[in-house]
Amino acid sequence: MNELKDPRKTFGEAVIEAAKNNPDVVVLSADSSSGSGLAAFPSLFPERHFEFGIMEQGVIGYASGLATTGKIPVFAAIAPFVTARPFEMFRNDLGYMNQNVKVVGRCAGLTYDQLGSTHHSIDDIALIRTIPGVTVINPGDPVTIKKAVHAMIEHRGPCYMKIGNPKMPVLYPEDVDFRLGKGIIIKEGRDVALIGTGTVLSKAVAAARLLEDSGISVRLIDIHTIKPLDRDLILSTAREIGKIVTVEEHFIAGGLGSAIAEICSQECPVKMKMIGIGDYYASNGPYEELIGKYGLQPDQIYETTMKFLTT
Amino acid sequence: MEFKEILKLQYTALKIRRNILRLIRAGEAGHVGGALSSVEIVTALYFNLLNIDPDKPKWPQRDRFVLSAGHKCLVLYAALAERGFFDVSVLDTYGSLDSPIPGHPNMHKLPGIETNTGALGHGLSIAGGMALGLRMDKSQSRVFVLMGDGELAEGSNWEAASAASMHKLENLIVFVDRNKLQISGPTIEVMSYEPLDERWRSFGWSVRVINGNDLETIISTVHQAPFKKGKPSVIIADTIKSKGLSFAEGKVNYHYWKANPEEMEQAERDLDAIETELKEKTERSTGDE
Repeated sequence: MNELKDPRKTFGEAVIEAAKNNPDVVVLSADSSSGSGLAAFPSLFPERHFEFGIMEQGVIGYASGLATTGKIPVFAAIAPFVTARPFEMFRNDLGYMNQNVKVVGRCAGLTYDQLGSTHHSIDDIALIRTIPGVTVINPGDPVTIKKAVHAMIEHRGPCYMKIGNPKMPVLYPEDVDFRLGKGIIIKEGRDVALIGTGTVLSKAVAAARLLEDSGISVRLIDIHTIKPLDRDLILSTAREIGKIVTVEEHFIAGGLGSAIAEICSQECPVKMKMIGIGDYYASNGPYEELIGKYGLQPDQIYETTMKFLTT
Repeated sequence: MEFKEILKLQYTALKIRRNILRLIRAGEAGHVGGALSSVEIVTALYFNLLNIDPDKPKWPQRDRFVLSAGHKCLVLYAALAERGFFDVSVLDTYGSLDSPIPGHPNMHKLPGIETNTGALGHGLSIAGGMALGLRMDKSQSRVFVLMGDGELAEGSNWEAASAASMHKLENLIVFVDRNKLQISGPTIEVMSYEPLDERWRSFGWSVRVINGNDLETIISTVHQAPFKKGKPSVIIADTIKSKGLSFAEGKVNYHYWKANPEEMEQAERDLDAIETELKEKTERSTGDE
């Protein structure tokens, strides 16, 4: 059993570590720092933490302005409130102005399970990846969350990163080679490519094991950076394997599967199956049961993949 | 201020109005009403108040100007060109494909433009962030914002205003160009935020209400800012929409002007008349000496 770690705590610790090394890092809060693993930040860096209360659209503007003076603002809050709600501020003040701001949507996907569709964020990738110049990151384990924090702070330009809520298994060794825009081949295989992202990457990993147990050779890929998408890896996988299954805790519309299909359909059409959430508001309930309702548990991913391979 | 200085600024304001007409001639149409109402504010800023250097547009110690009401960009282009940030001939590209001066400003296209605005209700929070960042750096630079009165109906402004007072941004100075008109009619009938002075005061700002078409008043008022220690300052500038064009002043249908040749000729005559007036003033003052 892999070790489980809290994604918010992991994220917060990484930001604090980055802030110790880089005096330009500042944190903005919409009454959201303490819930984002950043409770210690204000006392550690009192001059570099700005509280605004619950006004996410305004915070995006303030972050943009701070960035014009060379600061590297990090703004973390509940995912829909930093993406869907202030979308125009994200697009104009960060994207269009190309400001070096790091927006982090936490408790993303369905991980605010009981709280219902107002608090689920299963459209954020679709929305933010339409903004030119924004890097969209969706790490799938605590090790890559930490690495993603450092990578996005080192990267110059607007970034959106999403993380979940419940503890998540450690999938990678500490020295995993994490680079923005480069997917990770977790396991080589021949029969099918299983491509996962974010909070359900561990479910894809478990499903791959089940498939291997049934004699299916799986190329298992982690696409932690949705934008820019690793097109070389996607196209070589399409050419070499010819069958792709995508796994994401996001609407099928506009998510990882869509992004991959945009490339493959034009340059190397292959059979694809996208596992995700359809055109409806997700329900509410305990997290594991909730994602099971949408076919995102390992045995369900296994079944869907087997059916995909045999029809 | 000395009379001569004021007169010189009045000539500059006239040049800026002429540049706005030049833009309209090039593009055949534009948001002229709010550009003309704020000519004196922008002239006072770019030709007297702002600590800027057109040769070093990214100079870190510069004052910042954020045009929150991005549709007033004609006045910004007119002033930046006149101040030497780029060649005046750029104004003739207005309305053409890939022009560096779009219908709302784009900071990536020309030097001197600080923000990409146009969607209303964005500028104040961006300016607040600039003011915070400059204060962190212990900079003496100030951040100026120009907003429209119709724009104030965007709720995001009031979030930004609250945060600016909470964070005591006394290096932030806002002009509200109260020209009292917006597309659909008088601002007090469309969505009134009056009394504006009390509204801003209740959000924790220090407030002055002035004649926003009077250069000397604008300058002397800014010299008094911050009006209260520890508070951001707002100057509610009462202006006349489409100021300078006899047929358009104070009229709602000149928010966006698609100029016909007769109106354009009249506009030229109106500005010529202002020039004659200024010449007479100059002569009188020389005669006095």
